[in-house]
Amino acid sequence: MYDMLAALINGTLGWGWPEWALNLLSYILVVTIVLVVAPLQMLFFTYYERRVIARMQDRVGPNRVGPEGIWQPIADGVKMFTKEDIVPQAADRIVHFLAPCVVVAPTVLMFAVVPWGPGMVPVDLPTGLLFFFAISSISAVGLMMAGWASNNKFSLLGAMRAVAQMVSYEIPAVLSLIAIVIVVGSLSINDIIAYQTGLIVSNRDLPGIPDLGLGWFVFTPVGFVAFIAFFIAALAEGERTPFDIPEADSEIVAGYMTEYSGMKFGLFYLAQYVLNFLLCAITAIIFFGGWQGPGVGWLYAQGITPENPNGNGLFNVLAGVLGVFYFLLKTYLFFFVMVWLRGALPRLRIDQLMDFGWKFLIPLTLANLFSAALWVAFTRWGPAEGMLITVGWSPVLRWLAAFVVTLAINLGVYLWLTRVYAASQAERRRAELEELIAAGS
Amino acid sequence: MEVVVQVVFGLIALFILVAAAMVVSVRNVIHSALWLIACFFGVGALYLLLQAEFLAVVQVLVYVGAVSVLILFAIMLTRQISGEGVRQLTSRWPVVLVVTVLLFATVMAPTLINQQWNVPPAPPLGTPEPIAGPAELGRGFVNEFLIQFQVVGVLLTVALIGAIVIAFEERARRRRVLTLAEELELKRLRERATQTETPEPVEAEPVARETRPASEG
Amino acid sequence: MLNAVPLPAVLTLAAALFCIGLFGALSRRNLIGVLMGVELMLNAVNINLVAFWRYFEPRYITGQTFAIFIIAVAAAEAAVGLAMVIAVYRHYVTVNADEVDQLRG
Repeated sequence: MYDMLAALINGTLGWGWPEWALNLLSYILVVTIVLVVAPLQMLFFTYYERRVIARMQDRVGPNRVGPEGIWQPIADGVKMFTKEDIVPQAADRIVHFLAPCVVVAPTVLMFAVVPWGPGMVPVDLPTGLLFFFAISSISAVGLMMAGWASNNKFSLLGAMRAVAQMVSYEIPAVLSLIAIVIVVGSLSINDIIAYQTGLIVSNRDLPGIPDLGLGWFVFTPVGFVAFIAFFIAALAEGERTPFDIPEADSEIVAGYMTEYSGMKFGLFYLAQYVLNFLLCAITAIIFFGGWQGPGVGWLYAQGITPENPNGNGLFNVLAGVLGVFYFLLKTYLFFFVMVWLRGALPRLRIDQLMDFGWKFLIPLTLANLFSAALWVAFTRWGPAEGMLITVGWSPVLRWLAAFVVTLAINLGVYLWLTRVYAASQAERRRAELEELIAAGS
Repeated sequence: MEVVVQVVFGLIALFILVAAAMVVSVRNVIHSALWLIACFFGVGALYLLLQAEFLAVVQVLVYVGAVSVLILFAIMLTRQISGEGVRQLTSRWPVVLVVTVLLFATVMAPTLINQQWNVPPAPPLGTPEPIAGPAELGRGFVNEFLIQFQVVGVLLTVALIGAIVIAFEERARRRRVLTLAEELELKRLRERATQTETPEPVEAEPVARETRPASEG
Repeated sequence: MLNAVPLPAVLTLAAALFCIGLFGALSRRNLIGVLMGVELMLNAVNINLVAFWRYFEPRYITGQTFAIFIIAVAAAEAAVGLAMVIAVYRHYVTVNADEVDQLRG
């Protein structure tokens, strides 16, 4: 943003602004864009989800307000604003008021590190990925506050379920991302995207591959397992079906949101959809190259970049538009998958959820971590690091060896774990039945 | 520029101290835990001011994301939800207050302020200063601090297992409320037990089939 | 930061936080309150370590590494401590430290 503004104001228009003014202006613009984009995405996502799920259930969905019901979210928003705000008599008023703020604030802050296109990241932190997950874990505190302050059993139950679920599924989510971090060697989200150039195979692993922006991690065994594990964990973190246990409306009314109405309820709703958007976005960024796609890299190379200050600004705009297009396309595709799963799967029980997270996903991601280390050893290490097997191998051979070894490990661990997990579930079922018989007789 | 940093530092320090004071003085345990979270945030902000970016993020991740949630969970599981009416401080708290204030005012603060620290002079503004970041930290953990790193890993694993063992409740001791589905299943099992002499044709339901050896044995 | 805020200011802040934490740990009846006091003290120690690292040797990682180890140990301590609180509660039906006064129950 700063580069573009500097080029526009001091270069094209020739106004000669000082550096601090440009910095200030660029940050104000970025913050405004972030704060405007978050609710807009949420509005679009509610409409999108309702239409898609309606289509799957053989209905039409909202179609009255505006063409094809496109203004329905706006109407809903107006309704939210004009509703009465009710606080229960026995509630803790201050905590009850603070809880929605604590839930919404981190989701909006997470936008700060999401790159939208080439050179279009609001803040490029060197610890961006860690920041994303650290901030996302704050909303658990907000949920706990909401559940406790409402002074309602359903709220408290919902909050306990939500927090237990979020805390347990954070571990596989972070572990699967660490595998990618090992391969890239950086926590910066920009570096992770920059790694995924190439065609099926990343440019960094095999120099000389044509750069079509398609060297995504999902095409490697390590990335594929990490992607599956991360997406399942993301479903649990975003409280999507089949993991929507915290707000299971047939069991505990609306979970932690039970005692909220009006705009406070709207804020919870906003936080949830923004979080879903962000989880889809981060899946697209880490495993599917983010804004990478055919043409973006070439267009961006022609534009004004720190390496090429004499480029043409028009190409920056073109690369940005194309990058944002690819990025949003991937993100909306993942949200479609989320809606699809909601249409297809029933809800899990809480003990099934915990078992799956702790006994299946975590061991799988741990094994994947080992594969990631082997991947780095095969593709990049030499005799200096003690990797003597690959001395004299060509890059293609090294890449192939890494691919085969990691594939074998991941596949073997997956097959073994499914067997162990199925056996443990059967055993548990048997123990429960015995207990039932003992209780009954 | 320096004034801005001083004001920011002052605000953060005030925030940390007020939050910490609320942690130890508020009656309601949940409020106390929420103030503790605020205090953790303040410390994280201080780390950012000290340019320890990675530590600030880890502080938020571990303390706010994990430890405080653990504390909130423990409070809710022990049904100390509202501490109103319950005495929160021990009877000798004035003595403790006097001791801690004296410790701070007569021992710590004078020592810290009067000590000659010999801080190396800071480089003038504008010159880039080499500061160890996450990459150097990561390299340190697999080189010079490898043993310590492994020990911490073992410690965390032991703590995890230990916490489970300590807080584990025997299945049999748990008060059990049957769900509707379980009651139905129990009913079916009982019916089955009465009909053991006249075995039914093979049922399609896998649950019923699994129970057969258990009910016979 | 280095020119604007002198090192003793940061250290005094940490000392004050430590004393508040000490007061909490010694005077709270509630076991969870005691644990919260201990967490405050650990945070105060961490502030000291980071301050020394930043003012004396920012190009080496020792200070930050130490702080990270302390965070890890604090997390382990919190997990075990809270598990013990829950076990105590289950046995004595109280979490107040002065009511848990039987060696065998």
